[in-house]
Amino acid sequence: MALLEEPIKEVMQLKNFIAGEWVESKGELQDVVNPATCQPLARVPMSTRDEVNAAVQAAREAFPDWRRTTPLARVRCLFRLKELLEEHFEELSRVQTQEHGKTIDESRGETRRGAEMVEVATGIPSLMMGYNLEDIASGIDEYVIYQPLGVFCHIAPFNFPFMVPLWFSPFAVATGNTFVVKPSPRDPISQVKLAELIDESGFPPGVYNLVQGGAEAALALLEHPDVKGATFVGTTGIGKDVYRKCGETGKRAIVQASAKNFLLVMPDASVQGTMPALMTSFFGNTGQRCLSGANLVIVGDDDAFYRKFLDAFVNTASRIRVGYGLDESIQMGPMQSLDGKKRVLGYIEKGIAEGARLVLDGRKPAVIGGYPDDHFLNPTVFVDVMPDMAIATEEIFGPVACVLRVKNLDEAIEMVNSSNFGNASSIFTSSGKAAREFQYRVETGNVGINLGIVAPMAFFPFSGMKDSFFGTLHGQGRDAVRFFTESKVVVQRWL
Amino acid sequence: MELNTTSQVVSFARDLEELGARFYESLTRRHSGDAEVWRHLASENRKNVTQVERAYYGVISDALEGCFSFAIDPDKYAIEAEPAGGASYHETVKRAVEMEEKIVRFYLEAAEQSKSLMADVPHAFTLVAKKRNSRIPKLMALLGKEG
Repeated sequence: MALLEEPIKEVMQLKNFIAGEWVESKGELQDVVNPATCQPLARVPMSTRDEVNAAVQAAREAFPDWRRTTPLARVRCLFRLKELLEEHFEELSRVQTQEHGKTIDESRGETRRGAEMVEVATGIPSLMMGYNLEDIASGIDEYVIYQPLGVFCHIAPFNFPFMVPLWFSPFAVATGNTFVVKPSPRDPISQVKLAELIDESGFPPGVYNLVQGGAEAALALLEHPDVKGATFVGTTGIGKDVYRKCGETGKRAIVQASAKNFLLVMPDASVQGTMPALMTSFFGNTGQRCLSGANLVIVGDDDAFYRKFLDAFVNTASRIRVGYGLDESIQMGPMQSLDGKKRVLGYIEKGIAEGARLVLDGRKPAVIGGYPDDHFLNPTVFVDVMPDMAIATEEIFGPVACVLRVKNLDEAIEMVNSSNFGNASSIFTSSGKAAREFQYRVETGNVGINLGIVAPMAFFPFSGMKDSFFGTLHGQGRDAVRFFTESKVVVQRWL
Repeated sequence: MELNTTSQVVSFARDLEELGARFYESLTRRHSGDAEVWRHLASENRKNVTQVERAYYGVISDALEGCFSFAIDPDKYAIEAEPAGGASYHETVKRAVEMEEKIVRFYLEAAEQSKSLMADVPHAFTLVAKKRNSRIPKLMALLGKEG
């Protein structure tokens, strides 16, 4: 199958976007590599603390005028951005496939979800309204006004390089705040493209800023006294540090962290009907998402159903076409980084050592198109997995499915709830009663019923519990509006 | 090779519509008496592409099964852009009817298999199948006529 045209043809030198200008960084440069082809795409600077401070200062200086800009005028910039996102939809999507490795369908899905955040944030004139009650006492009225706070920042993950920053930034700027984003240095190019479009949309200088970099830049943002709040998506280990740092510096925080998601299959589930959802969940985005399926729990003591389901699952997984995502026939791309692949290989070794049975081994990948296999893995399936094994309890973040078996729904729910993580879980069943019981008792923030990926739409919060989330309010929707605003309460009497 | 991903299926639909449009455009020269009919059909094909692409790009989500929904054999729906050389008007129209029937079957299969995607995608496939289906009696009516 012919490849779709690559939009990035030459190695780019990435810059920072501060106060409406593209400025070169003095920081060290790192290579950004296409994980499918191993070809360099860009050189990204590790911005210095001074450069981060300059971005925060630009955002702080832009804040007073921006907060006085009417909500209607603010969202007009977002309407223009939305139009530009549509115009550049395909280019943005292909850039994500180049920098991250995901398939073109997945990249387009990511672009669409990012654009939907902008669409929802254009509703700010309504979403940001406060509330009031007259005559709380004789002749006294009380009301709430939602006001912006100042500068917010986002420290972005590598797995959804385009979409995740958009869970936050449109809501932040629409409510009158200013923003600094730090993309992941592994795949920062789609954020550069987004910043170019934001610039073109007519946002005043300083309202939206981008600084490239790694841990030092992130720390500089988190420690900066002028940053009022931080949003972060990444691992639980780093997430806890981010949350702690935000606490120490008095910042609001949304910290979305690691996951170990369970997908339950009840004996009344359709075998063939669930396969596309399970393939997407376990192997979509090469298993590199916090909503990915990790543990497949087959419920019941019906051996015939177990064998039939398992055969179908392994057989379907074994036929997944792995290769470069700009080939439209590809269903799974490479791991984004060599480190990520190494970590997954380590877990496969650990699973074998723990006594789980490897029934589909993806360690020697067959790659369509003859690309170097450096970053690639094929789908991997373990069976006879015990709940206390490391492969069943720790986040692998790759295309590895662990199959467990339990007697009944109660046992399955207990297993889900015994996890340290609480990001997402799903049940596949034709029983409304079982689905309702699951939804009621399960301790995860996002719950799927006959769906493999429980990705909340832009107008709902992206939830999470336990070690998968630190904070109070979530990204997206009304939660995001509340996060980016302070409730000012006015009690009024006229004499 | 089987079509598995939504991107593949949408590209295949685009190619089918384009080949179909070229087929009708070639008829405007060969059977110019009905040139307006052929031109209209060719232009409608291109509108179908817009309709399917708009649905796909408008609702595609990484959360649904975009890469795993389909198992379509494209060979079942292969068509040619050029009518056979020296074919009569009657033979050519007959071929157009066969082509339309084949494309309708493709869209119906695509609609059936995309039920797990956002509803707009199977809906767009079904609408195009319906539109194309309505062409068949019109083409059949031309069969009795000499070009």
